[in-house]
Amino acid sequence: MSVLLLRLAGPLQAWGSTSRFTQRHTEIAPTKSGVIGLLAAARGQRRTDPLTELLGLGFGVRIDQPGQILRDFQVARSLDGRDSMPLTNRYYLSDAVFLAAIGGDSELLDGLHEAVRRPQFPLYLGRRSCPPVVPVTLGVRPGTVAEVLSDVPWQAAKRLRERGPSTVRLEVLLDAPPGAEVTETLQDEPVSFDPAHRQYGWRAVVRTRVLAPNPDGRPPVAAGVPGGIALADHDPLTWL
Amino acid sequence: MYLTRFLMNTARQGARKLLASPQAMHAAVLSGFPRPEDHTRDDARTLWRVDQGRDRQVVLYVVSPTEPELTHLVEQAGWPRSSESWETRPYDRLLDSLEKGQRWAFRLTANPSRTGRKTENSPTTQRFGQVTATQQLEWLTSRAERHGFTIARQADGELNLVTYDRQVRRFTRNHGQRPVTLVTATYDGVLDIEDPALFRNVLTRGIGHARAYGCGLLTLAPAQPTS
Repeated sequence: MSVLLLRLAGPLQAWGSTSRFTQRHTEIAPTKSGVIGLLAAARGQRRTDPLTELLGLGFGVRIDQPGQILRDFQVARSLDGRDSMPLTNRYYLSDAVFLAAIGGDSELLDGLHEAVRRPQFPLYLGRRSCPPVVPVTLGVRPGTVAEVLSDVPWQAAKRLRERGPSTVRLEVLLDAPPGAEVTETLQDEPVSFDPAHRQYGWRAVVRTRVLAPNPDGRPPVAAGVPGGIALADHDPLTWL
Repeated sequence: MYLTRFLMNTARQGARKLLASPQAMHAAVLSGFPRPEDHTRDDARTLWRVDQGRDRQVVLYVVSPTEPELTHLVEQAGWPRSSESWETRPYDRLLDSLEKGQRWAFRLTANPSRTGRKTENSPTTQRFGQVTATQQLEWLTSRAERHGFTIARQADGELNLVTYDRQVRRFTRNHGQRPVTLVTATYDGVLDIEDPALFRNVLTRGIGHARAYGCGLLTLAPAQPTS
């Protein structure tokens, strides 16, 4: 079992799973269908092509930097200004960073890694107007999805990492293993991206937290270093 | 000399006003001395610092030549019915017991800054805040020797010193005046005393600029070796 790691970061992202008509929602973390779609685009698959190999992949995502939800109330008109398009509310995540892990056979994942490095179609983070920050792929690593997601250092912005502690607790959303106590279900299991008839199955998701290392973080105030000094409680009145 | 610990009640509006503006806090601290000569002498002055302690407690420390009377502060920003609203202890015994070679844990909130010209041909010099963590560490270590102490090193050779709570504070002095901008950083570390006479001056007179604005008060606590 190997895992392909993707770092999904950009000014804007949008990961919808329930949008209908003019309300275009976003989840607070990348969806499986969105990421599988990104991989298929990288391989140059057309929307009508069958997804076969990609359907069996495992998926987990870690929220490294939650970002903020941004609403775009869109009032578009046609080029000649005569017709107005439907008024829509489009929701985005701004300034967010996620780590997505795709579990599967290592040969297939190596191929996907190469494809993401040299994509056939442009990659985007859930919506065409949301380009990613490069590099997207962090390579293929051995282990399970859950293991890999807790080994990789915190991917948030540098200013946040430097301010943070040396280990951080991050929220993780994983494919629920069979028999697990299901916490959530999303209509997010991609079946077909055919524009004439898109199909998504239901997907069970477990929400947990992992401890991730943060090498840039502040060390726990000299404690723990042999020969260091514990400084945690500074009380100048102790010796008066 | 006296060291005072005052417990702030952050739920009170008065406390928020004081914590938001070093100008207001400075005025409130100095109002604790009935005679002006009580808070400034040639060899000592009144210094203060706000610490955020364990359990998110906000504590005000004051070092002053005479004992402050902080009733007004308790009424505005403290815990009037509590027995530990403020506590003053004499500082001289500690000051007298300082000797060369002693090792202490210390905490300092300071205004690391340098003086220079904005451009090469500016007619006047001005003060600039040291903004990066490296500059701020360098600022303290370069001053250590002339103030009679050195920063201890850990077993791995690194300086036993951290900076945190590094911020740029901006507040107004008076209505309509231009705001004051102040770079502050808090240092936690371990020091060795080299020259007790010089070092005593640091404890009573402070270190660096902006001493009226809660900077420059260095306090000591026992250093506990870790295994």
